[in-house]
Amino acid sequence: MNNLSSHGNKILNDFNPFKNFKLENYKYAQLHKDHTSENFSDSSYDYNELLKISHNLQKTDFEETDLSSKVDKWNFNSIDSYFRVSSLSNRSSLTLNLDNFSQEVLLVDVNHFSENISFTKNSSKNQTLILITSNISNPKPRSIFFDLAENSNLEILQLALSNNKSFIYFEINQSDFSKMNFITFQSNNNHIRNEYYASLGEKCELNLLGLNFKNNFINDNFSYIQHSKPSTASNEIFKSIVDNGAITNFQGKIYVDPIAQKTDGYQMSRSLLLDSKSKANNKPELEIYADDVKCSHGSTVAKLSQNQIYYFKTRGIDEQTAKNILQKAFLVEIIESLQNKEIKDFSKKLLDNLI
Amino acid sequence: MLNIKDLKASIEDKQIIKGLDLSINKGEVHALMGPNGSGKSTLSYVLSGKEGYEIDSGSVDFKGKNLLELDVDERSNEGLFLAFQYPMEIPGVQTSFFLKTAINAKRKYQGLEEIDALEFAKLVKSKAEELSISPDMLKRDLNVNYSGGEKKKQEILQMSLLNPEMAILDETDSGLDIDALKIVSEGVNKLRNENNSFLVITHYQRLLNYIKPDFVHIIADGKIVKSGNFSLALELEEKGYEEISKTA
Repeated sequence: MNNLSSHGNKILNDFNPFKNFKLENYKYAQLHKDHTSENFSDSSYDYNELLKISHNLQKTDFEETDLSSKVDKWNFNSIDSYFRVSSLSNRSSLTLNLDNFSQEVLLVDVNHFSENISFTKNSSKNQTLILITSNISNPKPRSIFFDLAENSNLEILQLALSNNKSFIYFEINQSDFSKMNFITFQSNNNHIRNEYYASLGEKCELNLLGLNFKNNFINDNFSYIQHSKPSTASNEIFKSIVDNGAITNFQGKIYVDPIAQKTDGYQMSRSLLLDSKSKANNKPELEIYADDVKCSHGSTVAKLSQNQIYYFKTRGIDEQTAKNILQKAFLVEIIESLQNKEIKDFSKKLLDNLI
Repeated sequence: MLNIKDLKASIEDKQIIKGLDLSINKGEVHALMGPNGSGKSTLSYVLSGKEGYEIDSGSVDFKGKNLLELDVDERSNEGLFLAFQYPMEIPGVQTSFFLKTAINAKRKYQGLEEIDALEFAKLVKSKAEELSISPDMLKRDLNVNYSGGEKKKQEILQMSLLNPEMAILDETDSGLDIDALKIVSEGVNKLRNENNSFLVITHYQRLLNYIKPDFVHIIADGKIVKSGNFSLALELEEKGYEEISKTA
């Protein structure tokens, strides 16, 4: 515990950090609450279909690594993440170099690991990594790191399904000229929070796109995208459908360093509320210290369009079918941005089945 | 086919349809003409069953059934079709998927199997060609970034695929250039037969040169004030609504 920053120490010395954690960034996540919902069933997610089109990474593919020294190396101009500090202190870590695998699609079931995981990618070869963060049995925070070397690129599909509680810190470090396409698919969760911290080097591109629907209690997405060098581009879109009294939270910051001229930052969060009991909390933030940048953000909360439903019905389509089609239409934009066609088709089918 | 008796209907406590009578038989084409605000579009919404419109009194009989008791989708599946003046844009829903869903909804209602994929492709292709709709348009999101003419053609395509017994065309001519007007009118004329009926709502006589009506009605302030044959449309074009309404 001696190598912890004083900030981390303060958090971890608390008997139950969830209980008294007062940082503004966790306000809406309600981590201290233990919520059990009658609607929630943690039916285990069957990804056999995915195993046909991906290579399943085993624990033996990973190497042990010591990330505890990382605790003091906080690289973001922001309040530190409790998930990060907690997981680096409480869990051991594994690392894997994705370049060691020739397969275009790799899969990791995070629930099979008790460790934090650090992935590295050096090549520009097209590769998609499917991260299953579903049916997580141990809700203690964990960290997943991605280090992209210069000129490399990587696509990630995170499947967060049927979690009672899941709390994950993601950190994406992009060296110059690298590209990351990160899509997160979240459904049928009770209480989850995902944190996405990304730091972009020169001329890097980051897509961070998320969809969530049919959750039960709180679905919380937090992001912090740090444009650290000139000419970087980030594109962030989160779409939520909320019903049954559930709550969706989106908090996202675009930070632009004084030297990060020509930054192109875009952030959008859109929520559809299907009833008046449900809630969407959106908190977009911009923090810009360079003067030659293009940054925009937006946030919408809406209901399904009665006029659109009416149009469907005048063509003989019943109300429930119309609503289902419109919900899928709202979310499918996120899936369309997947580059790997097989994974895209799989994700569309998954959306069809779950909505 | 359709029998409207002394219909009175309101929206937000304001009565728009104020005692309208109209009877349309099998195989007939009726034109409904009237100035802005006379209740033309309201009548089409009320007949389709749109939410927010209150029926104050009167009755509408459709093929022997009380139309006003049916939900919007049931009315459609029973054979009523409304071609919109302003069709809705539906981002994220591919046009061909929408068409297939609509066809299958009607087939299900009729107790039929879902349409075979190949049969559907053939059917849509031939109908789309008749309306000069490019195959590419069927892959695009429904009505999104369509031109005014493309939207109207899309409405007529849906109509021809659902093959309704009673079709209401709400200002289908608005926003159409003369070429698109011809194509759309030909599309409608091809569907005409002794078993179906049309109610063509329009401001202008122009459309009626292409879709020849059997009867022409003039609506003013929520009532039909004059009925006649095609010559009434010509007279209207000459004299204008105000004078015709006065002589009514």
